[in-house]
Amino acid sequence: MKTYNTEELINQLEQQTETILNLVVQQWQMMNPAMMKQQPAPGAWSAMQCLGHLNAYGDYYLPAIEKAIDLARLKRMHLATIFTPGWLGNYFTRLMMPGENGIPSKKLKAPKGYIIKNERDSDAVIATFLEQQEKLLLLLHQARRINLNKIKIPISIAKYIRLKLGDVFMFIIAHNIRHIRQAERAIAVAQTFSSENEAFSQSVPASTS
Amino acid sequence: MQAFEQLKRIIFSIHPLNDDEWNDFALIWKLFDAKRKTILTKAGETERRLYFVLNGVQRGFYVHDDGREATIVFTYPFSFSGIADSFLTQQPSRFSLETLTTSSFLRTEYAQVNALMQQYPNFQTCLFKAVSFTFAGVLERQIELQCFTAEEKFKALLKRSPHVLNLIPHKYLASYLGIDATNFSKLLGTVRL
Repeated sequence: MKTYNTEELINQLEQQTETILNLVVQQWQMMNPAMMKQQPAPGAWSAMQCLGHLNAYGDYYLPAIEKAIDLARLKRMHLATIFTPGWLGNYFTRLMMPGENGIPSKKLKAPKGYIIKNERDSDAVIATFLEQQEKLLLLLHQARRINLNKIKIPISIAKYIRLKLGDVFMFIIAHNIRHIRQAERAIAVAQTFSSENEAFSQSVPASTS
Repeated sequence: MQAFEQLKRIIFSIHPLNDDEWNDFALIWKLFDAKRKTILTKAGETERRLYFVLNGVQRGFYVHDDGREATIVFTYPFSFSGIADSFLTQQPSRFSLETLTTSSFLRTEYAQVNALMQQYPNFQTCLFKAVSFTFAGVLERQIELQCFTAEEKFKALLKRSPHVLNLIPHKYLASYLGIDATNFSKLLGTVRL
């Protein structure tokens, strides 16, 4: 099992989160909501649904992580310089990774409570996502001073199964990246729809006599 | 160095310094970086630092007893940053200063600025003028907050800082304008492509 230097791992996770934040802040906030809500194919998720799905996970995991970190600080738990993933945590993280062509190799079905209808206010979904990513950065910063191996977090779908905090961070961020990539693809499709519509409306005569 | 050229340009646009004054002034600044959501100054602390922003966006904000926030000011390249009133009075700040994006600065200390003020009357003049302009800006904003509609405030912000909608999470802009998220979304609709 590959081990990680804690400081380097947290730097990497922070950098990945920062990259996602920059993308959404700089490009998606100003995008037409119709684009964010465009489903690339019937039943396939729009960019907004991807973010909504990530928000649902954040709603569970961020408070759980915060609680665990606060507890660790009370107990004056010390930093561990090396983090070793657990086999289950590592399995979940790997499951989230893309294949060689950048697209996920395995299509997974989301658990029922984590599927979002395409009916919301996309500005509100984006706002929640940004708030959660800022929170995640703060938690990563706090986690620099504690033991990522010893703190355990119950997973959302089975509370009796607990993962190491380091694994939870790695899993969450790999999961975020997976759905951000999916959202990017959905937006790319939405952009081709919109330029096709423009071309169509330009080729149709303005009026018929 | 590009950073110092910007600093010189901004300072000289307020009030020119002679060569000795500028050289001594340039000496007191050091480069400094901070990540996103770093609290540079916490409410209750006395502001000992003055910043010149090279990169990124920061905000000064106040947190009320009930948890409500007021965003007082945004700073970005190439303006000065820091909690101005606490810095000038050397009294505890009521506000906090944080970065909203990865940021880089030139940074100096009160003691060094104060030493220059004692030494060079011309530098005092420069600082006095800078504070006067800042004061005028604060009064202008008072007018906006009391008399402008949400739409007028939104337009004024965009006129002052056209790129701001692409730089930071919109919640901070809504907070600065005193507009709720729903109304802010409606206003966005008027400027989105």
